[in-house]
Amino acid sequence: MLELSRYAFIAAIAAVSAALALHVVAAIPWRGFSVLSLAGRGAMATEASPAFRATTGRFAITLGVNAFLFLTAALILRTIEAGHGPFSNMYEFSLAFAWGTLAIYLYFDARYRLPAMAFLVLPVALGLLLYATTLSDEIAPLVPALQNDLLLTIHVAVAILAYGAFTVAFGAAVLYLIRSHSEVDWLPSHSVLDEVTYRSVMVGFPMLALVIILGAVWAEIAWGAYWSWDPKETASLVTWLIYGGYLHARVMRGWSGDRSAWFVVGGFAATMFTYFGNYFFSGLHSYA
Amino acid sequence: MTSVTKRIGAPRTNLWESLGFARVWGFFRSVRLALVLILALAAVLLIGTILQQVPPSIRADGAAYEQWLEQARLKYGPWTDLLEHLDFFSVFQAPYFRALIALLVINIVVCTLNRWRSISITVFRSRVRMTDGFFQHARFNATFESPMPAPEAARRMKRSLSFARYRVNTETGAQSIALLADKNRFSVYGTFLTHLSIVLILAGAVIGGVFGFKDPQFVVAEDSTRGVAGTELSVRLEHFADEYYLDGRPKDFRSEVTLFKDGQEVKRATIRVNSPLRYDGITFHQSFYGQTAVMKVEDSGGRELYRGGVPLSWQTRDGGRPAGLLTLSEQGISVWVIGPRPGENDPLVRPGEMRLEIYNPDGDVDRLETLTQGEPKEIDGLTFTFERESRFTGLKVVKDPGVTIIWVACTLLVLGIVVLFYFPRRRAWALLTERPDGTTEVKLAMPSQRNLSPAGDFRRLRTRVGRVLLSTSATLRSKDGEGGDRA
Ligand code: HEM
Repeated sequence: MLELSRYAFIAAIAAVSAALALHVVAAIPWRGFSVLSLAGRGAMATEASPAFRATTGRFAITLGVNAFLFLTAALILRTIEAGHGPFSNMYEFSLAFAWGTLAIYLYFDARYRLPAMAFLVLPVALGLLLYATTLSDEIAPLVPALQNDLLLTIHVAVAILAYGAFTVAFGAAVLYLIRSHSEVDWLPSHSVLDEVTYRSVMVGFPMLALVIILGAVWAEIAWGAYWSWDPKETASLVTWLIYGGYLHARVMRGWSGDRSAWFVVGGFAATMFTYFGNYFFSGLHSYA
Repeated sequence: MTSVTKRIGAPRTNLWESLGFARVWGFFRSVRLALVLILALAAVLLIGTILQQVPPSIRADGAAYEQWLEQARLKYGPWTDLLEHLDFFSVFQAPYFRALIALLVINIVVCTLNRWRSISITVFRSRVRMTDGFFQHARFNATFESPMPAPEAARRMKRSLSFARYRVNTETGAQSIALLADKNRFSVYGTFLTHLSIVLILAGAVIGGVFGFKDPQFVVAEDSTRGVAGTELSVRLEHFADEYYLDGRPKDFRSEVTLFKDGQEVKRATIRVNSPLRYDGITFHQSFYGQTAVMKVEDSGGRELYRGGVPLSWQTRDGGRPAGLLTLSEQGISVWVIGPRPGENDPLVRPGEMRLEIYNPDGDVDRLETLTQGEPKEIDGLTFTFERESRFTGLKVVKDPGVTIIWVACTLLVLGIVVLFYFPRRRAWALLTERPDGTTEVKLAMPSQRNLSPAGDFRRLRTRVGRVLLSTSATLRSKDGEGGDRA
């Protein structure tokens, strides 16, 4: 079972990489290449047809869906083998984070057709998966504080989706900023990018609130204190506050547009800081 | 009559103005201030996660704090004094942190009061009839031609829109019928719910701090009973057990206890890490555990002065041996009972032995002795026996009447956000004007919303209205074509 899970994991890495590569191929206006190759053999006069690019784009999306399915399989197989959800170490959590990112990204892509998002979101997912390859994938037993299955499962499942939503929001906000600062006609319009950013924060913000609250409920049960300024919970609160700042800035005169997009970039930095925080600070969460 | 009212009214306004209340109010109702406060709070909290924080108990103890700062100096070098001066090692207790929270609370309360009335008016007394200009300039608008007379068109629209969960009001005028369709109108209260929940959470924390208490070091030895200070409760530990996985990681800790109230047994329970014992608003959590020395002390006449477990819940300063205090108040003697250092060969205290440090009433060490299990030893006319080893459990005892408030507030907070985000308020206005030939022109308009574009809802609304009006032609307008081009 564990072997199968590993194969599915590797297949997911391959699929994400291939999806990213195909998105690049689909996005390149091939005329550029003919200029490059002038130095060599002579002009490559064939300009790839729009149909070719569209097909490649569709393949890229299909590969993204495949990556998501492989990851789903990897996580399910591992859960069956371990007897608990994927939340006992950074390996499991990284797979789950990548899974959440792909899930939310594919949803928004299906709804808004955003091929350009792939360039920001897929590298994050790929990075998480590659990071996971450096970690031990042994199944470890659960220490007593982690044995609260239901609460922990919901806590982590919601966290994964929230992080995924923030990754997608980050992608849309960066595209928004790129669009503000350069003339690129192949990006979606400002209003679409703003809507995608806002909608993904709409998904992530209440979810992160729920994650923090469930964490507090669990801490109250396990340690007798719902809040102890543990670095990890404090960092989550910082993240939440930054997105709260975004929600206000976005509807304020003089703060909508680029400035509020920067909040989303900052929020993603805080998300990453919270996620990798175990390397910076020690606390109750440091076993994770 | 008028002059009297004026005379009463005027000074009040002046007082309000002259004391600067209006300006203070204006300062606190601003969302810009909210943004500044949120960012400032985030910055302070970030400092609290990046820099090591000193536990409040150490901070309160001068010598211990000095020692703590010494080890901080190793890490932060010459910056240490500056960071200490700025309270950066204890940001969560710092005055500026509390001030920020207080400002946030005032900001939220003022903002809520300030908006409450105007929002309520839009909810309960929304205008039904709008001007032509409104229909022309609204962000999303459409015009329909319907073959039916205006009252019939209004009736059909009302039925169809109600079906789509809009609440419909109409106003019949001389030339036209005005219509207002309003969906999720209470959603706007979600903002208030969310903001006030934050205040409520903070209130819960304050209530817990004022009316609650916690004892993180409530130690009970096996087969002994201990009272909880400030309550009528006492706890007897029947048995403590710990289990480990094969690789040595802890698997389970559990304390089997009996709870007494005024000496009467009220509950038996097993306390585990994830299942605390709750009774009467008091919670007992499993926190730590350790070794107990069961001791007997008799005087020369054979009278029992002490018999029971001495929990070795302290550590000696010299090498971390477990130690516990046994007090014989009648004799004015305190005895530290010291066990062997765990996990290694301790040359001073061997397994099966206990070392005694006996202090006289002046607090000086009188005698140092070593006891072997089961062998009585006479020391200064008293007979000490180390009978056997057992366990103690370390519980955390908490009373926090704020917790319930906090859970309720958290629920409302999430609920408020969900209502606001996923059940957004939508309002559309229509104006139905009947022509002499019995056909009707219907204008439909939906204003933009600052947070989320209602484009999708408008499209659905337009399709629905066009259908029920049997519209022959519809002119669609919206400022950048967003309402029209994606249909
Ligand atoms: C930690 C503190 C705060 C949090 C978490 C918070 C959260 C929120 C949320 C989730 C929204 C909804 C945004 C949307 O509909 O897109 C909102 C809107 C709003 N908040 Fe706050 N808020 C906080 C503090 C404040 C304060 C102190 C004020 C006082 C000025 C304030 C004033 C407002 C206003 C006026 C809106 C409505 C914006 C609009 O819909 O046009 N908020 N807030």
